[in-house]
Amino acid sequence: MQLLASPEPSLSLSPSGDAVAPTPLASASRSIACAASGSSVPVAWWVSRCCPKETFGAPSLMVALVIFRVEDSNAKDVVEERVCYYKPVTPFWCCFVIGYLSSELVVQAAGCTSCAPSLFVNLLHTSLLYCGCTRRIATIDGSGRREQAIHLMKDKNYATTSLLKRILLNCSAQAKQYGSCVSARVPEVEKDMCLKEFIVLKNCMQNVLRGKGDNLKNVNLHNMTGESSSSALSYSSGSNALSHVYIQYPPLRCHVPASRSLFYDDGNKLILALTPNQVFSWKTATYNPYAAPSSDQISEGPVLSIRYSLDLKLLAIQRSSHEIQIWNKDTGDTFSQKCRPESESILGFFWTDCPTCDIVFVKTSGLDLYTYGTESRNLQLVQTKKQSISWYIYTHESRLVLLASGMQCKSFTGFQLSSAGIIRLPKFEMVMAKPEANSNPILAAEDVHIITVYGRLYCLQFDKVAMLLRLYRFYRDAVVQQGSLPVYSDRIAVSVVDNVLLVHQAEAKVVIVYDIYADSKVPISAPLPLCLRGYSRASVASFHTSTKTSGASESKNLSATEETIYGDQWQFLVPDLVLDVSNGSLWKISLDLEASLGISASSSEVQLILEFLQRRKLDAEKAKQLSLAIVRTIILERKPVPMVARAMDVLLAAYSQAIKTGSYNKRSITEEISPSNAPNAAVGETITGTDVSRSINQEPKSVTQKDSSNRSIVATSESDGSIEKTETGDLLEPGLLGGEDLPAGTSQTHGPTNNQLNSSATQRKQSAVTSSAATSPADFYSHVFSPIVEEMMGDGSYLTAIIAEFLRSCSLEKLKVYPNTYVLLVQILARDERYAELELFIMNKIIEHSKEVALQLLDSGRQNQQIRKLGQDILRQLSLHHDYVLLLVQDGYYLEALRYARKNKVTTVRPSLFLEAAYVSKDPQHLAAVLRFFSDFIPGFKSSPDHNTYHRFVAELNSSVTG
Amino acid sequence: MGLTSESDAKEAMKLCMFDLRRGQTEGQELDKILFFYPADLPITNQLSVIGLSEGLITFTRIFSPDAPCEVIEAEKHCHVFYEVEADIWMVMVVEKENPESIWRVDALRSVLKEIHSLFVMFHGYIRALVDKEPSGGLVRSHLYYFIMDFLSDFSIGKKLQLPNFRDSLKEQGTLQMLTVGREAAIEVQSLVTLLESCVGNKQCYSMTMFQDLLVSTNLSPIDTLNLFTYAVLRLTPIALFRGASAWSSLRKTDTACSTYAGALQVTSISAIDQYYNSHDPPSLRRHNYPLVRPLQHSKWSKGKDGFLTTDIWGTEVNSLLPMCPTIWLHLTEEKMFLLAYQHRGLTVILLVPVSSVSGDQGISMLKQQIIENASLKMLKVEEKLSRGWGGENAYHVSGYRYLLVDGDRYVSRASPPGKVTTLTKESLVALSKLREEVDLEKARAKWDNSGREKDIEICIRAKNNSWLIARLVRGKELYMVLEKGSETLLFAADATEKFSERYCNGAFSLD
Repeated sequence: MQLLASPEPSLSLSPSGDAVAPTPLASASRSIACAASGSSVPVAWWVSRCCPKETFGAPSLMVALVIFRVEDSNAKDVVEERVCYYKPVTPFWCCFVIGYLSSELVVQAAGCTSCAPSLFVNLLHTSLLYCGCTRRIATIDGSGRREQAIHLMKDKNYATTSLLKRILLNCSAQAKQYGSCVSARVPEVEKDMCLKEFIVLKNCMQNVLRGKGDNLKNVNLHNMTGESSSSALSYSSGSNALSHVYIQYPPLRCHVPASRSLFYDDGNKLILALTPNQVFSWKTATYNPYAAPSSDQISEGPVLSIRYSLDLKLLAIQRSSHEIQIWNKDTGDTFSQKCRPESESILGFFWTDCPTCDIVFVKTSGLDLYTYGTESRNLQLVQTKKQSISWYIYTHESRLVLLASGMQCKSFTGFQLSSAGIIRLPKFEMVMAKPEANSNPILAAEDVHIITVYGRLYCLQFDKVAMLLRLYRFYRDAVVQQGSLPVYSDRIAVSVVDNVLLVHQAEAKVVIVYDIYADSKVPISAPLPLCLRGYSRASVASFHTSTKTSGASESKNLSATEETIYGDQWQFLVPDLVLDVSNGSLWKISLDLEASLGISASSSEVQLILEFLQRRKLDAEKAKQLSLAIVRTIILERKPVPMVARAMDVLLAAYSQAIKTGSYNKRSITEEISPSNAPNAAVGETITGTDVSRSINQEPKSVTQKDSSNRSIVATSESDGSIEKTETGDLLEPGLLGGEDLPAGTSQTHGPTNNQLNSSATQRKQSAVTSSAATSPADFYSHVFSPIVEEMMGDGSYLTAIIAEFLRSCSLEKLKVYPNTYVLLVQILARDERYAELELFIMNKIIEHSKEVALQLLDSGRQNQQIRKLGQDILRQLSLHHDYVLLLVQDGYYLEALRYARKNKVTTVRPSLFLEAAYVSKDPQHLAAVLRFFSDFIPGFKSSPDHNTYHRFVAELNSSVTG
Repeated sequence: MGLTSESDAKEAMKLCMFDLRRGQTEGQELDKILFFYPADLPITNQLSVIGLSEGLITFTRIFSPDAPCEVIEAEKHCHVFYEVEADIWMVMVVEKENPESIWRVDALRSVLKEIHSLFVMFHGYIRALVDKEPSGGLVRSHLYYFIMDFLSDFSIGKKLQLPNFRDSLKEQGTLQMLTVGREAAIEVQSLVTLLESCVGNKQCYSMTMFQDLLVSTNLSPIDTLNLFTYAVLRLTPIALFRGASAWSSLRKTDTACSTYAGALQVTSISAIDQYYNSHDPPSLRRHNYPLVRPLQHSKWSKGKDGFLTTDIWGTEVNSLLPMCPTIWLHLTEEKMFLLAYQHRGLTVILLVPVSSVSGDQGISMLKQQIIENASLKMLKVEEKLSRGWGGENAYHVSGYRYLLVDGDRYVSRASPPGKVTTLTKESLVALSKLREEVDLEKARAKWDNSGREKDIEICIRAKNNSWLIARLVRGKELYMVLEKGSETLLFAADATEKFSERYCNGAFSLD
């Protein structure tokens, strides 16, 4: 089996064992190492970038250490400096060193026995993630005791458990030795420290691995075939140990014999492959690698670009720079639209769903807007926007066309042609740094990217001189520069996955991930390579068997594909596709949430991480699970209550927002990602004074004048989460404002109605089921509180405080709390015998009254009469008459019960219960009274056996009393 | 000046505490006495009171070893007994001479209880003090100052005004709670959590009060009650204001008027001397005891940082900073630092184990932390609570004069005092008698069958045509006076029912 025999599978160790540099990290560090050494990214950058002092935490330190281990002497100084900075947290650090230097669980588990137990979980998560051998943090419910963690993993039938356990069992002594050796020397980090111990440990682990190789192989095989192609395969590929962004094997093969070229029609999300007389199209909206293409006949001739109309009835082909041919699929008609060849040439064209036109030609002399007359079967010119254009970019996703002009091509005008009408953006200039005094760089079309994130439009401009990626945000009537991102490569590409911005540093072969929602320009995690997942011979084999139709050329191609990640032939398509033109394969870029966050899951920015997770839509279920796991972990680690409270606030606020917008229950189906789940606060931040003032500097006129309108646009995005803003154009759409604050005369306003908008939104809803990552209070109960309750046994007051904070969060968001949460709280308080507090909670209705709570109180009240009474009172107040009467009788208050039963007409309690209770009390008068009561009020009671029995008892009691 | 010379006014009340285990031999009887009020009563009189009491206790013990003697009703006097600790007794002798002296024995006894439990909270058990210093000087001086300070709260003019029939719609020894909405309650809880997190990992307790009402606490019921009582006496904004104004107003008024505090100054020295004279040379002793007088008036004040400060507990040796007050917890007998933070109506009392904080430096660090982390939240909570608070008459129910007691939780709620004064004397006296009866009935039920609570319902039409109602249901008690009621019993029952449904969640409506 390939996996384990391969020289460096992620879980095994390098057999080389050379004395100078042990390479247990090889799998983990290799990617970084190559990125660091083989590219233009200097090592020192890694350290300084990943370990900024203020956010200095475990993950970044780890990166530093990895690099250090990788023998870059330059890095040493930097690392040491950081390490010194990190000294206050030495125990954790030491654990981490132990844990990571060996890159194996074993050492962590063993070495960490001397660390605080709660850290163990942390480490386990991290290392599992980094070893690429888990895909679910949730599997480890974190106990602080390794046995339990392992036990839990076993429960979940986790594939590698047995292996890990075996390693733990067999090598714990060696691991401990190594661990203690390292920890003894901390913080003096040296190269090759504890080498002897390490080699011993390594050999031990290798032996275990060899011994168990066969077993593991089977497990893996089973996984791969059984579980289609999910992330279970993650560690089958050698190089993916560290990556948060991946492309999943197999790709969509857009390959037809004799195809000349590939085009992407982003209006319809089609990949078009051309043969001399045919066009094949693959739908990419629902990314399915096995999708079969459909085809249309076309006439022969040169094709510069080709696009279907949005209703797919027309096909437009640009034949030359002067001619566009339009073919009607239904009728088969063809006609051509030409321009004056002497004065202008066609740069391109696109179809639009704008109400006033159907197709737009972009020419060097300006834009021509045409409608297609169904009767006349011809294009009619509607409008011309005169302007000289050097080049243009358009994305259908944003409906935005940016027209570049000027010597340096850095003056821009833009139009948004959405279903709501045409909006003209103010003219703006992009900033470019000058390399020397006299040379002016020219901006190229491929250096400008339009992206859509959280329903906002941004433009990214790659400034090659300054090595910056400048970020512009489009408002309705202003374009505001919003900072810039650093670039480490001469060639970059940009994709957006699930509203997360990925900047591919093509030469460094790494991806940097940004979430530009909160205006922070700090990457979410360290730069890591894009990896190919699911590719191995095993999967190729299975692939073959499952899809025999797809031809035999794959395996040959694959090796090439793997090598050419970020090859020259890669075209990045909006928003998240990669077209490998040479191989004709289309890859979809995905984000591994777990990997990008897992490491920092326990760091101090929990709140930010949770907010980030809550904004995820594509992998919402995982985001949800991760969110809950994070909360669970921080509770288990006894993090300060306010911190946990803030974390819960974030999640519940997101949930309440999701409820309001309906995206939670509906499992909304949207083609594009809607910003409906965006927390308000963060939106508010984006329009801070600094932004405005900055923009004032650049464009004093437009911004100062239209400051109010500017704000109103933001207000739109803030307030109107309810409208599914699948279309980014909405942001620029004044109609959403409900007419208020319409900026006068800024641009042509069409006064469109909300109806139009909504209809367009619904039209665009398609496929791609997404759900919200929101976590309901019930989820909290079942995934957070209930699982940890046993473990937190000794720390009831902490847990109580946490739950109380949870209740506060819920009441803040006006959410209904899952009743069992209250029951749990009662249990905890009663277990700790904190009856006074429990009473207070009940009296103040912090614990809302319900039957479940009442029953729990009665149960807990066995030791405490007052608590029992509280339970009874709740029963009475909730008018649960039957239970209440039954309780009274059971407690011997049968007369009261009887009175109550009569008053509230409770007839469901058997008379014999009352009689029995009265008999037990040995009071003949009372017994007689009860007997009389039933005789009077229940017809036919006198003839029942009960009556006779107890009548006799009365007589007996009487005689005994008198006697 | 001789403000409390014997001739001036015959003291209508005598209060003594004695230890049956002391002074067993002839001629040593004086050693029994731990405290006697009035202190200037001739020794022989003191001894005769104690002799009578001891005799009765010994006698009744023959018949009822567990609960010997509770009260003696004589023609002119009433002796109320209370065994505070094993063999340590408090006896209160009150004279029945004027028309105002109609009282409930239970109300008087609860005064004795209060004295003792407060004393224990500050000084620890009396028995422990006695054992600590067998000569008795320590315990006597503690008791003396403590009880005199305590009694000063009852003084009106030169007389002691003990709870009488006018207080029959009041229950001594209970908490009054603020009714808060769920949201506010959660907010308070969150504040408590925050405070606890300021203290750190050590177990600490807190009590949150608004005005003189309890909002939330995690103390045990007994400790809550003691601390609450103390807070109402000395710490709440009202108490602070009272303390501050009492002095000024007293000064302004006639100097000839016997200010109690003045009297205390005079008598105290003589009384203490008296004890010392009878036992030990006084000279050294008096300064050996670090006397802490937690009930001393006007000693608490609000500092700039919002924390209440006092020099009752003395000042630190090498600085002028006052020492942090300490109290003992009843249940765990743990010594705790007491920190009280006040913001307008809100008073938050935090109890931190002495063992967990390193002296006053630790305390000031803790204070700093609280101010940094929690003061904003307290501000918010105060705002929320005061918005929801209906003011002094918040719990007034028009047409009703009531008292609600939850015996299980030591909680009571009553018509505001201002409204109770509108009742006629007849009604109040009658109610007092009714309550006396109910007390008897309760005591009897307790002996009869333990564990089972008896439901009682009494409706009485008094001479002045007012309805007096008492209802006891499952440990909860409701007393009501309806003066403007119609004549039928049905009316009274209906009124009770309505009240029960609307204000007590139907707790008192059984049929």
